[in-house]
Amino acid sequence: MKEIMAVVRMNKTNATKKALIDAGVAGFTAIKVLGRGKPVEDPAVIQERKNKLLEMAVHESIDAEEAERQVVSFLDGSRLFPRRLFTILAHDDDVPRIIEAITRANKTEHNVGDGTIFVMPIADAVRVRTGETGEAAIW
Amino acid sequence: MLLIRAIVRPEKKDEVLASLSKAGFPAATVVDVVGRGKQKGIKMGGMLYDEIPKILIMVAIHDEERENIIDVILKTARTGEDGTFGDGKIFITPLEEVYTISRGGRGL
Repeated sequence: MKEIMAVVRMNKTNATKKALIDAGVAGFTAIKVLGRGKPVEDPAVIQERKNKLLEMAVHESIDAEEAERQVVSFLDGSRLFPRRLFTILAHDDDVPRIIEAITRANKTEHNVGDGTIFVMPIADAVRVRTGETGEAAIW
Repeated sequence: MLLIRAIVRPEKKDEVLASLSKAGFPAATVVDVVGRGKQKGIKMGGMLYDEIPKILIMVAIHDEERENIIDVILKTARTGEDGTFGDGKIFITPLEEVYTISRGGRGL
């Protein structure tokens, strides 16, 4: 019995749900969380993002210094971004399939910020309706 | 690998996250939670408050970083000299596998 915790982009929630159903796993618990990952270290990538974000700033309502400060706070790895945390209970054999499904649904071309999947053992589970325990309680 | 789940006071969130960053743990997941502890909540003016707002910080680490991160959290999340009721808790669970989606591979 395993617990799979997946942190994914907010706008990938529906894609993840669909991917889980396709993988034959309908049940999940999802909550809104904030998160951050490893900071991007490649200066070229940071510069590119910075230019892109600065272009988006509205210069009439915000002065250049303030815009620069806000953009840097987005890129220095200290800011938390909204994400969705899925918690899925699974039989041991289903774990690779579920991970494959979540990965496929969430991979983007951005190369950072797509999220992380944690797999951990759980000792027991109980279905409240019937009182079943162990593997039978999962699905 | 281990998953650290630390419950801390909301006002300590930024401080704990900053010191984690500085100690080499930039990645974290943060959730707003409510809870109570052994003291069964806080009684104030005849009202019992048992859903006290806290912040849950989750960090995945390598086994050998365990002492270090616990030390960092304890040091920053404690209030007062000897700590106070309600400063929070740290839970540690084993983590079997970690996948980073953008890299498409295994590992932290």
